[in-house]
Amino acid sequence: MLLYTNAPRLLSKFLSSTPPNRLVRCLSTIHENYDVVIVGGGPAGLALACALGSKSELQNVLKIALVEAGELSRVHNWSSPNGSFSNRVVSLTNASQAFLKDTGSWDYVELERTAPVKEMQVWDGVSDARITFSTSELGLSSTGQSGMARLIETLNLQRGLLRHLHAMPTVQIIDKSRVQSITSDETPGSWPMVHLDTGRILNARLLIGADGPNSPVRSFANIPSYGWSYDTQAIVCTMDHPPKGPFLGPNTTAYQRFLPTGPIAFLPISATASSLVWSTKPALAAALKACKPSVLARMINAAFRLPDVSVGYIHNRILEAHEAGKPLTEEEINAEILWREQSHSINQTSAYSSMVPEASIESRIPPSDVELVPPVVTSIQPGTVASFPLRYNHTETYVGEGQGSRTVLVGDAAHTIHPLAGQGLNLGLGDVECLSRCITEAVMRGGDIGAYTCLLPYTQERYLENHKIMSACDKLHKIYSTSFGPLVQLRSVGLEVLNELDSIKAAIMMSAGSVSRKNNRVLSYNSDARTTMFNVAAKGVESMNTAAHVARVVRDGLTGLAADTLQTVAKAANSYHQARKDVP
Amino acid sequence: MFPTRLLRSTTVNANEIAHFSKLSAEWWNERGEFSFLHKMNPVRMQFIREKLLETAYDEQPEEAVDAKKVGILEGLDVLDVGCGGGLLSESLARVGARTTGIDASESNISIAQHHASLDPRLASNLTYKHAPAESLLTQSKRYDVVCSMEVLEHVDNPSMFLKTCAELLKPSGHLFLSTISRTPLSYFLTIFMAEKVLREVADGTHTYSKYLKPSELLEFFQLYRSSLPSSVNGDSVQTQSRPWITRLYSGEPTRKEAEVRGMIYNPLSASWVIAPRGAWGAAECNYLFWVRKPALNDTL
Repeated sequence: MLLYTNAPRLLSKFLSSTPPNRLVRCLSTIHENYDVVIVGGGPAGLALACALGSKSELQNVLKIALVEAGELSRVHNWSSPNGSFSNRVVSLTNASQAFLKDTGSWDYVELERTAPVKEMQVWDGVSDARITFSTSELGLSSTGQSGMARLIETLNLQRGLLRHLHAMPTVQIIDKSRVQSITSDETPGSWPMVHLDTGRILNARLLIGADGPNSPVRSFANIPSYGWSYDTQAIVCTMDHPPKGPFLGPNTTAYQRFLPTGPIAFLPISATASSLVWSTKPALAAALKACKPSVLARMINAAFRLPDVSVGYIHNRILEAHEAGKPLTEEEINAEILWREQSHSINQTSAYSSMVPEASIESRIPPSDVELVPPVVTSIQPGTVASFPLRYNHTETYVGEGQGSRTVLVGDAAHTIHPLAGQGLNLGLGDVECLSRCITEAVMRGGDIGAYTCLLPYTQERYLENHKIMSACDKLHKIYSTSFGPLVQLRSVGLEVLNELDSIKAAIMMSAGSVSRKNNRVLSYNSDARTTMFNVAAKGVESMNTAAHVARVVRDGLTGLAADTLQTVAKAANSYHQARKDVP
Repeated sequence: MFPTRLLRSTTVNANEIAHFSKLSAEWWNERGEFSFLHKMNPVRMQFIREKLLETAYDEQPEEAVDAKKVGILEGLDVLDVGCGGGLLSESLARVGARTTGIDASESNISIAQHHASLDPRLASNLTYKHAPAESLLTQSKRYDVVCSMEVLEHVDNPSMFLKTCAELLKPSGHLFLSTISRTPLSYFLTIFMAEKVLREVADGTHTYSKYLKPSELLEFFQLYRSSLPSSVNGDSVQTQSRPWITRLYSGEPTRKEAEVRGMIYNPLSASWVIAPRGAWGAAECNYLFWVRKPALNDTL
């Protein structure tokens, strides 16, 4: 029915009247009609295909195809020995997990290779002001497997989704096919035609761009986007470290330190392995990548531990050595770090010491500050060091119009974000959940799923939601990328105050999706999540003790701020006088 | 256009047809003149769907009804009177109804036909015809569902139009209407604001005096009895069915006979919603109306 019904007749006509070489050309340009064509086999595209393919309402109603340039069988057959992990790890919020469970894809994910995040330690690299998030504070059950989020290798997730797709016959996977061009007729409302490099042409009632930051679908739909690239590269790798000692909890705490050059994050993926996401200046990133893995491990340990001034110093050493073409050896960097530690009088037994603990002292009673910093990294898993540039990008709309109508964007094709809060894929999965709901709703009401009216609720629901989180992450990055005294004071006070306010912390975590939303209707807010949120908020207000503490923190902070400002003014005045004196 | 002789015998208003013919090219521009109708369409379909499901639950064992089935109208003969550009007809055909769309404007029909030809799904069960509803009475074909959305306020003789729609139904068939009530609010919103101030809708689209109140529709169907074929009742005593609406309870019909639901436009989300049953003041402007033709043996 959806294929042109007269194709066989046309074919037989050609068979009798055309020479073979022309026949091949004609054969290769048969248009295939699909209701949904998803371009891009990344996590977002695959999740969308799974969501649509698993909806009982859509069985035998929609003809769906997923187009991917790469070879998906590689992902499908991906496996990795125990203990070694791929360098691309994402954090899935509870909301995202709940969505994947609903569609049934979660059953195909290898759970043993994932790890829950039950606590988060985030601190200011300059002032050491700290905020902690923990599952128990948020009224989530701290027992059991779940935390506020779960870390999973992107490949593990993609493989799970692919396995799920293979288990359902409704979605046709067209891989090893690059989109060459997308065209459309002049007539308004006509279906976009996706030309593949294999010669196939797919006509799409609805063309979904899940094709990443350089989306061909977006350029076809002529959807403008705005954004900027951060002067930042993110280094990723998988780090090995000893398991936590017998007096400590499991490796389920994520750490993030905001250095003025960018945040460095430690994401636990198993008892002895964790993933690194280190955003930093491109020159430094290049230098660090060029280092030996053992040197990089030292640098990571130091970056979580040393005071900012020393971190800056050893970064300069690395940079100079890199520019001079003589990279530092492990002994040299060790000596540097040791010297800096001594000058800051960091005790060798303290958790802030970057020295690799000897095996003999591992079973001793840990230092009291051991929870404040991640475990000491002993080595980097070979071949896992990589880096990529960071960008902020948001399209002006998600739905194409005019010549580019019948198109819609999801995931990175619509928005790219700084990874500091680990929200990129979660936003994408939020898009996917909403769009699949929108499509189902439209199909149930006989709508044309490519029509603007049918897709409008998707933009309405997702755009603001995404924008909120995206700009929050952007502002965070900007606030923390300075070491200007008064601003450091201000943000530190802010953070400490925040740390005391359970209610606001809870609200932050809610909006970051740590509570799954059961959202069955288009444009409806979930009451469950709201109730939990207000409960926690109410609890926070109850405690007057907290309020007193907050007042103290604010007072101290403001005093510090005033002193700091005066100091800055004094310094400025001093240097001004100095300058005047210097002038003869 | 029709010969004047034909026009006189129908409820079609020549001026109205000229007005809509002029606008016909705009029908499928979702951001243009008819954007309100595009946004209203899902809500109308929702109403039709929910009403059919409700009657199915009433008549069949619960497990026999699949509420998640898309093809709720599968295999039903549906007539869309005043289909315009085919907004509703296409939706009906997509959920499986054998749909016939008729309109008194030839240019509307050609727009509708052209648009339907763009969608390969629609070829098998959607047909359009340039004809006034009255002309179908001469044929023997009757329909399971007759819809006439946003048409009643444009016809000349509403009671004759309603009779025509009613007679085109099979026994136990469903009649779905949507129109605008005659209230100060509806004047303010649909004529003053929409046409004069905001200019969202072309000036002259609506005529206040042609609007019908829900109570007037209810009253009509309280009196209206459809004629029964004499062969059914051999003694030919009973030639008329019971009135379509047998009684009202404080102005409301019983759930199995008829229903009035207000439709409210939410300008913030730019979408229409169906007001809950009996919501106060909801049917003061746009409303949906459903009434069911009595079954053959239901003569009361």
